Amino acid sequence: MLLTATIFTPLAGALVLLAVPRRAANLARLVALAVSLVTLGLAVALAAAFQTGRAGFQLGWTADWVASLGIRYRVGLDGISLPLLLLTALLTPLALLGAWRVPQRPRAYAALVLALETALLGVFSALDLFLFYIFWEAVLIPAYFLIGLWGGERRVYAAVKFFLYTLLGGLLMLVSILGLYYLQHRAGDPSFDFEVLRDLAKSDNAERWLFAGFFAAFAIKTPLFPFHTWLPDAYTEAHPTTTVLLAGVMSKMGVYGFIRYTVQLLPEGARAAEPVVLTLAVTGILYAALVAVAQRDFKRLVAYSSVSHMGFMVLGTFAFTVQGIQGGVFSMVAHGLVIGGLFFLTGMLAERTATSRIADYGGLQRVVPRLGGVLLVLLLASAALPGLVGFVGEFLVLLGAFLNNRLTAVLAVGGVVLAAVYLLWAYQRMFHGEVTSERNRALADLTPREWAVLLPILALVVALGIFPGPLLDRVEPAARQVAERVATVQATTP
Amino acid sequence: MHVLAQSAPTPQPIEAPPIAWRAIAPELALLVAGVVVILLVAFWPRRRSAAAVLTLAGLAVAAGLTAWNWDLEEVGFGGAFAADGITRYARVVLLAAGALATLMAWHQARADRGAPPETFGLMLLALVGMSLLAAASDLLVAFVALEVLSLGLYVLAGGARRPGALEASMKYFLLGAFSSAFLLYGIALVYGSTGTTGLRGVADAVRDAGTDQTLLLAGVALLAVGFCFKVAAVPFHMWTPDVYQGAPLPVTAFMAAGTKTAGFAVFLRVFAGALGGLVTSWRPVLAAVAVVTMVAGALFALVQTDLKRLLAYSSIAHAGFLLIGLVAATPEGVSAAMFYLLAYAFMVMGAFMVVQYGSTAGGVERTSLDDWRGFGRRHPVAGALLALFLFSLAGVPPALSGFWAKYFVFQAGVDAGLTWLVVIGVLASAVAAFFYLRVVVVTYLEEPAPAAAGVSPAPLLGVALALAGLLTVAIGLAPQVLVTAAQAAGRILA
Amino acid sequence: MTVLAQAAPATGITPGATSLLWLLPALPLAGFAVNLLLGRRLRALSGWIATLAVAASFAICVAALAELLSLDGPERGRVVLRGWAWFAGVSFDLRFDQLSATVAMVVTGVGTLIHLYSIGYMAREERRPTYFAWLNLFVASMLVLVLAQNFLVMFLGWEGVGLCSYLLIGFWFDRPDVPAAAKKAFVVNRIGDAGFVVAMLLIYAEFGSLDFTEVFGRAAGVGSATATAIALLLFLACAGKSAQIPLYVWLPDAMVGPTPVSALIHAATMVTAGVYLVARAQPLFEAAPAAATTVVLIGAATALLGALLAIGQDDTKRILAYSTISQLGYMFIGVGLGPVGAVAGIFHLVTHASFKAQLFLGAGSVMHANEDDTDITRFGGLRRAMPVTWATMGLAWLAIIGIPPLAGFWSKDQILAAAFEHGGAGVLAWAVGVLTAGLTAFYMSRMFFLTFHGRPRWPQGRHPHESPPLMTVPLVVLALLAAFGGLLGLSAERGALQRFLAPVLSAGAPPAGEPVVSEALLATLTVLISVLAVAWAWFLYGSGRVDWLALRERYAAARRVLVNKLYVDELYEFFTVTLGRALAAFLAVNVDQRAIDGGVNSVATGLLAGAERGRWVQSGLVRTYAVGVLGGAAVLVAVLVVGSIR
Repeated sequence: MLLTATIFTPLAGALVLLAVPRRAANLARLVALAVSLVTLGLAVALAAAFQTGRAGFQLGWTADWVASLGIRYRVGLDGISLPLLLLTALLTPLALLGAWRVPQRPRAYAALVLALETALLGVFSALDLFLFYIFWEAVLIPAYFLIGLWGGERRVYAAVKFFLYTLLGGLLMLVSILGLYYLQHRAGDPSFDFEVLRDLAKSDNAERWLFAGFFAAFAIKTPLFPFHTWLPDAYTEAHPTTTVLLAGVMSKMGVYGFIRYTVQLLPEGARAAEPVVLTLAVTGILYAALVAVAQRDFKRLVAYSSVSHMGFMVLGTFAFTVQGIQGGVFSMVAHGLVIGGLFFLTGMLAERTATSRIADYGGLQRVVPRLGGVLLVLLLASAALPGLVGFVGEFLVLLGAFLNNRLTAVLAVGGVVLAAVYLLWAYQRMFHGEVTSERNRALADLTPREWAVLLPILALVVALGIFPGPLLDRVEPAARQVAERVATVQATTP
Repeated sequence: MHVLAQSAPTPQPIEAPPIAWRAIAPELALLVAGVVVILLVAFWPRRRSAAAVLTLAGLAVAAGLTAWNWDLEEVGFGGAFAADGITRYARVVLLAAGALATLMAWHQARADRGAPPETFGLMLLALVGMSLLAAASDLLVAFVALEVLSLGLYVLAGGARRPGALEASMKYFLLGAFSSAFLLYGIALVYGSTGTTGLRGVADAVRDAGTDQTLLLAGVALLAVGFCFKVAAVPFHMWTPDVYQGAPLPVTAFMAAGTKTAGFAVFLRVFAGALGGLVTSWRPVLAAVAVVTMVAGALFALVQTDLKRLLAYSSIAHAGFLLIGLVAATPEGVSAAMFYLLAYAFMVMGAFMVVQYGSTAGGVERTSLDDWRGFGRRHPVAGALLALFLFSLAGVPPALSGFWAKYFVFQAGVDAGLTWLVVIGVLASAVAAFFYLRVVVVTYLEEPAPAAAGVSPAPLLGVALALAGLLTVAIGLAPQVLVTAAQAAGRILA
Repeated sequence: MTVLAQAAPATGITPGATSLLWLLPALPLAGFAVNLLLGRRLRALSGWIATLAVAASFAICVAALAELLSLDGPERGRVVLRGWAWFAGVSFDLRFDQLSATVAMVVTGVGTLIHLYSIGYMAREERRPTYFAWLNLFVASMLVLVLAQNFLVMFLGWEGVGLCSYLLIGFWFDRPDVPAAAKKAFVVNRIGDAGFVVAMLLIYAEFGSLDFTEVFGRAAGVGSATATAIALLLFLACAGKSAQIPLYVWLPDAMVGPTPVSALIHAATMVTAGVYLVARAQPLFEAAPAAATTVVLIGAATALLGALLAIGQDDTKRILAYSTISQLGYMFIGVGLGPVGAVAGIFHLVTHASFKAQLFLGAGSVMHANEDDTDITRFGGLRRAMPVTWATMGLAWLAIIGIPPLAGFWSKDQILAAAFEHGGAGVLAWAVGVLTAGLTAFYMSRMFFLTFHGRPRWPQGRHPHESPPLMTVPLVVLALLAAFGGLLGLSAERGALQRFLAPVLSAGAPPAGEPVVSEALLATLTVLISVLAVAWAWFLYGSGRVDWLALRERYAAARRVLVNKLYVDELYEFFTVTLGRALAAFLAVNVDQRAIDGGVNSVATGLLAGAERGRWVQSGLVRTYAVGVLGGAAVLVAVLVVGSIR
């Protein structure tokens, strides 16, 4: 019940916003922020109620929806979904705060952000495959408008491309969902319940076909190389705070889907696809890192770094080891915080300079030392510097991958090295040396509002880097469950 | 020819069958109302509003009667008229469509003094035909009903005072007649091989090994042609864009919803019902038709620059999706298709209403996409509604009626082992999303057109729009009740 | 911090100074926080706060050491302070045994002196708080590295010192070459660290743990192939951190950082982390003889290369940088020799810290006096201008070239002796070592004479002066250490340091048999060569009898090769940067944009094109439509009927 309240509070808030007169921009902003903070509060309450060290789902709620077809409203949390729920609930208020000065129609912007939050929270807590699909596609519409209405030059192109590409993936997943329904229907009462479908016996062949459908959706959403080309456009064209949500939270839907659905519903299919997925993941890690080196636009560079990092999470997931999956989930949170912070900063820089081309910066360290300092911390976290949040997740992923397939891990380490290269090189070009452009001499350093956006992220980036325990302990049982699920299959199939 | 002679049965003396007054009451009500309205406008051409009110009253009465014999399950007139699930369900859709169309026409009549006054009466008469067609349990009755509704529509289509209109109605008439000929010849062949035109008889004959398969199948093929024409399936669809574009908006909307419903009702009754025994023979052919229809409809819609033509092609594509339900030829398939028709009626009429709202000023329709640039920004509510209907037509969740409609036919298809067809359907709907999205892009993401279309206040349209929008959302959120009703439609009486 | 407070010391430890171990890194960390957050308000105080923090942890270190010494035998090895759990099964445990204690002493001791020196040296810098914040953070990280009880925490410190090195090299980020040098340092180290990471993965896979006690306890049991792999991977990391072949290229460039930084990080402490790691991981290297030999040979090669390249330089700090590379080579020879040489290696680490730090600070003092000039060709005759600097640097100079009885002599001699006795690769290393000793004597003397002796060559209007006491006091202290540090370990068997370190390092050492050739003989040989080299250098650069400027013209060709560091940097530049960027550009444009994205978009454009092409069907003519209906009907009938006949 509490969970359901958490999920739909933002949507309710969005509807309330429509009642706010369009002129009263500030009122709208405040209402939206308040709603998102309430949601955060509820999410924290959920985390508090969550029992650590217990596998299986908690805090759930179930209600019939289309009973005759076995479609139910069922939500619940386990160690894998809880962190993502919290991440969503945290980044949304920050995004609203960060978008305080969004150019036009602030009310609509806030409403769409809240709608998006509900959809995302739903995706992470749905336990009925059908409900999951609804939330999954529901994300598209607010995201589509957010990109298309508040963005750069080519925003429409980016928005349409994003929408169609991800929609196609979703529809293919729908076919697989129908396939599962069909199997279940043959076996007994129709049902979309996650646990029912998980325990449903499926032929290896069926699993491989069904896997393909899910894979399409998740690989595009994550995105996994080579399905990533919608991402740089979307991330670059969208308003920075929109990108924070896209990169920080939405991109996690794919990995979450891999862990929750493909691996648990179709362990045999996942196992069969392992070589392919691992190849794509590792290729993506190195490829995206190299492409990032060549980027001239900082937003684009960060976008590609994101592709590279998502590869790590998939790598960890398909290692089918406890460390790998644990690391994957932890990395999702870490990446959410870091990439979120980075895009906030690109936004703040763009707000000041009206550009994100690296060449237009240079020598900013003297001008905006604090902004530079925060950026450096986040870049180093993104480069997996020990002591910061990025390292814990990526090391666990590497560990898990290494225990499964040594080559993949060793290659992935190359990605870590490259990350240091392109991130620090970009930082050097933007902040070191003499101030190159006269326009940049008189830039203002971080404002209190911006500090308010960045401090929570910074705090968590450091805290979780040194004290990852509280989070890892909650993930561990669920991760173990997933790993064992695959292990049993491997045991049974020669 | 001699084939026919050989199998010609000995003619029996015809005795008048008992009249099932109750079963046919709704159609009678419509007929009476139609006559009254026509007489009214014949004497007082200016009394449009009175005519509209009377029409609505007639529809209300018919609706009441429909409700009154809701539980009626009988085949009257010696097997010529079936009051069963399909009939009942189709009546609901038709009456609703009629009501909305009436409101549209009323609005038009008030906006444009020169609008033809007969519209209302003719719509009622057409409705009689449609309703009878849906209930027809004898091929000859079906033919007569088809002609009745067509005649009404021929005249209606020519009703607009604009160059295209007459041409459109002319085309519609010629091609309609042409296809009717096919239908009639098909009926003849079926009669020739089975010795009856009653669906029950046909059904028995199909099961009887002695029937002349060749003759029967030729007949079946020609019946298919006739029905495909009415439901606008490729390659019998070509009239659709021209007629949709030429006809006045209320009529276009009425046709889009009404003709499709009636046409598919009889199509389902005849093929999934009476000819169900022959499914293995006709399934490949109609499956092929479904594929071509979905693909061609979606593809050609991509390149349309006129809203009405675009919606015409979309209606073709939807015919394709509906055909999946027919090809499944299972109770699930039939009920899925019936549900689809209901959902489709509201969304497509809703879309046309917004078009009417935004484009009619002084009898001139501005339906070129260019005139719609930035519409959503100038008219937030109407724009939002349009987006709602378009997303629903595209079948994109969150939980809009259009999504469920597609989902149910897809599910029926998978259940009937037609996964390949469903996959094509899924891909087609991805393409379809592309052009619906184009409209959203134009209305929201593009800068307002210089010549902003002036819009007259529209209380009547407002009501109609509110209804359509509300139902589209409501059906989406709680489809259960209508699903149950549709499941009843799965059992076809004969 | 509360977590640490509750941390209970391991068995066998009376809760005393060692239970305060956590303060060692914590105090400098606090100093870092203070300087970072309220540096602006502190202004001049910031330096003193930073210095105080390090001095305090030095004091605690001394106390802890005293307590350690008070313990008897076995327990000394495993003074472990339990910390809170981190992840991957490791916790923030601190290990205070003979080895870590020794190095910790160096870090905090030398650290304190250099902080003190910095107060004077950076007096004119307005971003002082930031400088001291980084410096404190460095000391904290270095102590984490040294006191770590498992590989993961060690890696935390390992990367931490790398970061601080990056930040401090780039401290004057708006000066030319500085950003590039900083990035180069970080990236080259990152390459080495990749080795560290993979090594940890391998260790975890093999031992299921990253804890030192766990791993080293079972090291002997591992297959030699695995052990070799682990050892070599670890050594790759060392090569990066300690500037050994092939990853030494970053250190000379790092000299663009403030001189005290060069002294602390790039001479005394951080660069010796690699040596420490090899010594720490002795059990693993013992299980992998091949790897150990590699360490010895790489060490020898680097020692020689460094000395050679040092000869070609005219920049004081670069000379010292190459000399550091070369001296680190000696240390690796030592620790690579296993139980026999490990102690000597660490001994050299300690003595080197004193005299190399001294040399850098001295060079800094000289720069301070000469408007930050570092070109020895523009010095000369500074002896009178700055006597203290001259005298103290003189001691350090004699120490590094191994003139008895100064510190350098003992440690270097013991390494060479150990190498010679070790036989095989050891003998080769010994030969190279002796030769290098000669070269060292030559280039160090060259620098010393050109700086302090001969005619003044500095430009008009420059008035060299002695540095303020804040700077000279550390010079003196370090010089004294450089002079008498040898007393710590006068003999390989009976030296105090040796006996102290023995339990951790040379536990498995074979009883020193009767040496083939007496150590004294070897030592005299080395010293003799060194003295000759000094004399030769004096004749060329000190006596004034030779016009060395003309001389360098004559051997210009040979010299250019040395000056350009054998073109190694250019080679690396080409293979990494140039090729790398080319590849990146190719992928970004041709593959990503054209191939992949183009492919995706072509689907959409293809559909549109197809639809456009099909439009003629919709001609608007009734007859075409009729044809459509007719054709469709024909097909339907045909298919159905034919199907039925078949």
